[in-house]
Amino acid sequence: MRAISFSCQGESHIASGKVCQDYSYSHVYENGNAIAIVCDGHGGKRYFRSDVGAKIAAKVAEVKVNGFIDQIGESLIKGTPFTQRGTISEQIAKGDFSKSNKIDSAFRWLFGSIISEWNSLVTAHAECNPITETEKTSLEERWVTDFEGKVNFEKVYGCTLMVYVYTPEYWFAFQIGDGKCFACNDKGNWTEPIPWDDNCFLNKTTSISDSGAIDEFRYCYEGDGVHPIAVILGSDGIDDSFGLPENQANFYVQILKSIVTSGEEATIKEIESDLPQLSKIGSQDDMSLSMIYDEEKLKEIYLKLIEWQISNVKRDIANEYCKIGKANKIQQSLESIERPTRQNLIDLQYANADEKKAIEIGGKLMVRLEVLMKELNKFDRGFPLFGFIILKFMVIFLLY
Amino acid sequence: MSLLDEQVSVPRRTMTLFFLIDTSGSMEGSKIGAVNDAVENVLPMLDEISAENPDAEIKVAALEFSSGVHWLYSEPKLASDFVWQDVKAGGLTSLGAACAELSSKLSRSGYMQSASGAFAPAIILLSDGGPTDDYESGLAKLKANNWFKAAIKIAIAIGDDADKDVLKQFAGNSEAVFTVHNIDALKQIIRVVAVTSSQIGSKSSTAGDTTKQEQVIEEVKDAVENIKGAEAATSVDTSSYDDDWD
Amino acid sequence: MAELKKGDKVILTTGGFATIDKELGRGGQGIVYQVDLNGEKKALKWYIKTPDDRFYKNLEHNILSGAPSTAFLWPEYLTTKQNGSYGYIMKLRPQNYFEFGNFLLAKKSFRSYSAMLAAAMKICNGFMMLHRCGYSYQDLNDGNFFIDPETGDVLICDNDNVMPQGEKSGIMGKARYMAPEIVAGGVPDKYSDRFSLSVILFMLFYANHPFEGAKVVACPCMTEAYEKRFYGSEALFIYDPTDKSNLPVRGIHQNVIRRWPAFPAKLREAFIQEFSQEKLKNPNTRMIESQWEKLIACIRDTLVRCPHCGEETFIETSETCMDCGKKIDVSKRIKFGSRSIMLTKGTKVYVDSDNVPDAEVVEHPNDPTKILLKNVSKERWTAETPSGKIKIVEPGGLMPVNPGIKIAFSAAHKGEIKEEN
Repeated sequence: MRAISFSCQGESHIASGKVCQDYSYSHVYENGNAIAIVCDGHGGKRYFRSDVGAKIAAKVAEVKVNGFIDQIGESLIKGTPFTQRGTISEQIAKGDFSKSNKIDSAFRWLFGSIISEWNSLVTAHAECNPITETEKTSLEERWVTDFEGKVNFEKVYGCTLMVYVYTPEYWFAFQIGDGKCFACNDKGNWTEPIPWDDNCFLNKTTSISDSGAIDEFRYCYEGDGVHPIAVILGSDGIDDSFGLPENQANFYVQILKSIVTSGEEATIKEIESDLPQLSKIGSQDDMSLSMIYDEEKLKEIYLKLIEWQISNVKRDIANEYCKIGKANKIQQSLESIERPTRQNLIDLQYANADEKKAIEIGGKLMVRLEVLMKELNKFDRGFPLFGFIILKFMVIFLLY
Repeated sequence: MSLLDEQVSVPRRTMTLFFLIDTSGSMEGSKIGAVNDAVENVLPMLDEISAENPDAEIKVAALEFSSGVHWLYSEPKLASDFVWQDVKAGGLTSLGAACAELSSKLSRSGYMQSASGAFAPAIILLSDGGPTDDYESGLAKLKANNWFKAAIKIAIAIGDDADKDVLKQFAGNSEAVFTVHNIDALKQIIRVVAVTSSQIGSKSSTAGDTTKQEQVIEEVKDAVENIKGAEAATSVDTSSYDDDWD
Repeated sequence: MAELKKGDKVILTTGGFATIDKELGRGGQGIVYQVDLNGEKKALKWYIKTPDDRFYKNLEHNILSGAPSTAFLWPEYLTTKQNGSYGYIMKLRPQNYFEFGNFLLAKKSFRSYSAMLAAAMKICNGFMMLHRCGYSYQDLNDGNFFIDPETGDVLICDNDNVMPQGEKSGIMGKARYMAPEIVAGGVPDKYSDRFSLSVILFMLFYANHPFEGAKVVACPCMTEAYEKRFYGSEALFIYDPTDKSNLPVRGIHQNVIRRWPAFPAKLREAFIQEFSQEKLKNPNTRMIESQWEKLIACIRDTLVRCPHCGEETFIETSETCMDCGKKIDVSKRIKFGSRSIMLTKGTKVYVDSDNVPDAEVVEHPNDPTKILLKNVSKERWTAETPSGKIKIVEPGGLMPVNPGIKIAFSAAHKGEIKEEN
């Protein structure tokens, strides 16, 4: 097992002089266990020490999770199939009024111990570090009063928490707030194992500082001997940069591939230089990434990762091809009209534009496909077959 | 090799601006003409905002409602591509149906992509009357929609026959309803609201303590002072007939 | 032992048989099936780990004696020993009853405080009847109770663990609900049941455990060793007035943090007493069921409906609504001896202790400033006006709320309407 983690200040934070409010951590222990953590401190002015809150949350989570693993014993999760549990409000929405089992109770207890310890530590921090003059300048009067009156300390330190834990016998992951956890299985396919919470939407998120925080944790676990090959946690700065999950997974595939081909050290350097770049062209937010992967098995699925990318690109090419067909149909039907209406002309104009755009995107996708095929070919002798498919697509696009 | 080469696509973020236009019979004549004129003229301005904005591109969608509801195009179009087609007035005011239709499109299977990387939409409602259908169920459905909840919502009341109470319910706030009394003011307010919502809506939020809707209202309010025949909600004490009724 | 499948028949000791329809659920002890018994749908609990003969004899005895009260889903028929195991048949639990655990996680909540109080009353009464019959429950926990959130009606399940007092069924309850002396290894009895009852009542009202505060949640996992400490030797009430080291924690114990100050002081005082170090160590000083019943009735008498906002609110020293903050006119009362029940529009009056309202205060149809008393009981009331006229109020009938009227709700319950300023 190997672990990587990295956080950087977001582009918009650089501009406004705000510190990085994310915190990430990962570690492989001597006993073979491993942990990855990402915490994202909230951005509003109200949460003016959320960077500290995020650090504390990560530290507390590590300690409590290790205590949990020591004490639950191997038998609790061992043997159970992959299971997901949503937040309490998700369970209500789904009409799930089943009995909570021992595992659910144990997790609830773990989350409680994390919240409780986090409360104590942020309170201690607040008491040892009175509000500064610099802090005061950007704060509304009532928050200053609250802080000095020791009311709602926790809000000031509010953050999200996401954790993945690997043990040789089982694994589990849990989360409160936004950010996403991606897992890659032995077939090179990607999933988001922790159920999503619809209360996290656009820039709204649940928080460890919420009054009902314990009910907002969601989690998953598996003890039937199946482990993900790699699990990557990313703060919402990363998912906001990619939009669709497959784009994000594709970025993670690039990371995993780089680890195989260029080694971990070089890849870490790439991550360190690329994440700030990504923030610039993407979400502008702080970026955090924390991951655990099985270096042996990763090598075994290297080809599958490329195949996964190829199948995505092929699907996209097919989509663009479809769009071209659709535009062509409209063009043909309109060209035959002798006295077109204004509406007809507008439709034709759109069809022409759609066609042009699809050809352009399709062309780029073809280049991408070729690169991927070459990568695959370096490792695989099956080129002739793929080569044939590439040729077929090339012909289609060269026609336009 | 960089991890961020062309194999990794970082799409530009999108902010969609929705026009909901009342095209009922009472809009006939100069009102609908002014709406057509104003929207057509504001589109190039939106394109400019979109082009200059590093954060996001702006797309436009327009829904007209009278006896029925109708989208001008079956998908949101880039402001630069949007060819305005004049809408015609006639029929009833099916606001409820419009709300239900908007709600169905404010979803991943509709016009919106994944919430990750998206900006909340801006929604501008224009009306000169009151709904003639069961607007309450449609509006209730819309109000439960997460995208709608997060959206910048502004309503423009054309003349005093507009049911401002309904518009207020739609926009969620009486301050988000602006009233116009003449054609020139109507044209100007459409421009101001569309431009301001797009500017504010397509920026990465400064995770602020005022919502984007509040920011838009403030700016529009300032502008309205210079438009003859347009007014922001006056701050009459409405607590006696507003607050205790929910 | 063998699991059963659809169509299997189990033979009853009474001679008949029941046919398996489907599985309803399973737990550590056994599986519950829906069965068909002479055309009627029933539930069969079938043991996975077959308990010993003594357990079987006890079940036989309990079935013969019948249920202590309607609160119990009591064993009705016993199967013969077959397929290496045995089981018993009881009524099916209706769909509108939800496991108590759902209320603790706020997945279900009571429709009203009246429903909550009705549930508390029914549980107390059930335990009183159980102990009166000479039993103790032994395995009281949140999985045994099913509650209808609308009415507060309660069904107590898993009654196979009910044993004559002083005997041990061999099935240990969950430590969270056990009295400290049982956690330490003692034998359950009615005193330990009473402790469990006060825990259940506390959780019913406040939706948190009385001992689970800062001290207890610090450990990431509740191991047996911790259980022995935190529910046994070191058990400490979260609102212990002298030791504040186990207070409820923000983000975890939000229910109790919100409700503790909002619910009546009498309730707070009772729990502070019951969970005091002194009473924890002296089982025989714990409150008995009838005292709990009295207390709950007393609290119910302070519950009125706010005529302004229509929400329920407790009226103690302050006469304002907890919800809308407006002042409530509580001058109109019915007095029964020392009980003084406030009459406001929408308030239900519980005259006797059967947990069913007997009267309801309604608005005068022609004059909204006036209230009337509606007979929602099955009894005819006899009222005597201040001038000595006798009036009969039939079930469903209405009468004015005028000071000086004396009402006989039944032979045993007589009250008088008074006005207090």
